[in-house]
Amino acid sequence: MGALVARRPLIVMLSPALSLLGVFVAAPMALTVWLSFQEWSTETGFGEARFVGLDNFRAIFGPTSVGRDFMGALVNTGLYTLGSVAVILPLSVALGLLVYQRRVRGGVTLRTILFSTYMTPMIAVALVWSKLYSPTEGPINEMLDWVGLPPGRWLSSPDTALGSIVILNVWQQVGYFTVLAVAGLTQIPATLHEAATLDGADPIRRFAFVTLPLMRRTLLFSAVIAVINAVQVFEPVALITEGGPVGSTNVLTYHIRRVGIERSQGGLGSSMAVTLMLALIVMIVALFALARRVEDDAE
Amino acid sequence: MSALAARSRLSPFARAPALADWLILTAIILVAVVAAFPLAWMVLTSLKTPAETMATPPVWIPAAPSLDAYREVAAVVQAGRSFLNSAIIATVTTAGILLTSLLAGFAFAKYKFRGRDILFAVVIATMFLPPIVTLIPLYRLVGYLRIDGGLMGVIAPNLANAFGIFLMRQFIRGVPEDLIDAARMDGASELRIVFLIVAPSVTPAIAALALFAFVYHWNSYLWPLTVLEGHTENYPIVISLSRLLSYNRGAMNTNLVMAGATLAVLPPLILFAFLQRFFVDSVVSTGIRG
Repeated sequence: MGALVARRPLIVMLSPALSLLGVFVAAPMALTVWLSFQEWSTETGFGEARFVGLDNFRAIFGPTSVGRDFMGALVNTGLYTLGSVAVILPLSVALGLLVYQRRVRGGVTLRTILFSTYMTPMIAVALVWSKLYSPTEGPINEMLDWVGLPPGRWLSSPDTALGSIVILNVWQQVGYFTVLAVAGLTQIPATLHEAATLDGADPIRRFAFVTLPLMRRTLLFSAVIAVINAVQVFEPVALITEGGPVGSTNVLTYHIRRVGIERSQGGLGSSMAVTLMLALIVMIVALFALARRVEDDAE
Repeated sequence: MSALAARSRLSPFARAPALADWLILTAIILVAVVAAFPLAWMVLTSLKTPAETMATPPVWIPAAPSLDAYREVAAVVQAGRSFLNSAIIATVTTAGILLTSLLAGFAFAKYKFRGRDILFAVVIATMFLPPIVTLIPLYRLVGYLRIDGGLMGVIAPNLANAFGIFLMRQFIRGVPEDLIDAARMDGASELRIVFLIVAPSVTPAIAALALFAFVYHWNSYLWPLTVLEGHTENYPIVISLSRLLSYNRGAMNTNLVMAGATLAVLPPLILFAFLQRFFVDSVVSTGIRG
């Protein structure tokens, strides 16, 4: 690591990755921003685009059906993201403790089972859960019946469809976040628990005042990844609900693809993509700010 | 016994009464059953007759398990061809990612050049970009390159990714400078050093990246669906599976759909079963260092 490296080996090492990322990531990103200010049909070349200023943004935030559909998708995605993160984070810590503890055997086996659902293609997850949720011949309502609970309508009611997709998403992803939580638990020095025990702290206090504060970095990382994963939900919506019933599962990835690819309204779709990107940046910055405040309070 | 007690002190549950052991055990079993149930239901349903899949209340265990559904799936969706497409897409993409990540990871870890840290930060930022944000122009772009509709259109945009570069750079930083300098003294070229000195010292990371990339691109749905639209002969198995569902509509063949799902799930799960250690280690190391 002494002097600057010669130019030739640097080009050899970096050009494959950087030229691919340039063509297939950076250029499309710049084009998305540019197209958001254009009227453009996805069927035509980029040269056919016509500058329309902020018209696309006015449309997607306006009072017409374009605006209502987009705002609906934005709200649905927000609810879905909030629901997923709110369930995944505490659940991953609870499951992490089950995997990490050494009092009872079976933790590692549990990790294997949980992580294997994360390896399962989302498309298969969506297909299986659509059958599990089936109101008449599905096993979930049958099991509810056993314990005397009324059947749920799951994916077929606008009140419960989005929540039902949150559940299948949590089932698929929680294994990954559990492994992250275990990694966080491993980082906590055993001496801190011993000291707290000597001071007479019971297990619940040790969890609240030792474990949880020391896991805030892990939890921040998990939250960021969970948010980014949540806005990508597509398969269950595209395959099973098609955005319904009555638009209740119309989420952004599905909606943007429908507008920008299927209806070929490339400019309009791009303005939605830019809005999603900005919303995501705001959300992640807010998460970091929140984590910093928690950190300051802890000191 | 004393070793056990010492270890148990590490746990936040330490020194709780023995009742806690039973509660923990119950929780582990309960979670394991809930987690495994959907996949078990999938396999069981694939072995049922069409009438059994439609029964109310549901039939849990098929009366006479049959593999008919698997035979029929193969006929309906060209399962063999779809499997081959999935294998080609996942394998070639993985090979590309390994190569580009190893080279770029080496440069970011071991070369000193102006703008390195900013460039690396920009690369890392793309890791957080949801694919939908670039989907529309990317769809047009592969059209310009005349690779839409084919396997190359699915593969090319994914041959390099930020996660791979990040993972490689993290691990290559730990390779001793002396090892590399010694090879340079012997007159080895930089490429030789990457492949013959650096790569062998980061094999676990390469294995982890290979497995992640393979499973991710085997399972990936949004991009192949968009770029292959209508070219059914090039569909990977996950997209052929979605055609099973439309074939299924109004007919009694949930068993077919579940047989297809079982087939699609097998390759990632088999890989995971054999190489679990690498998966878990790399999640842990990216989580901690990230």
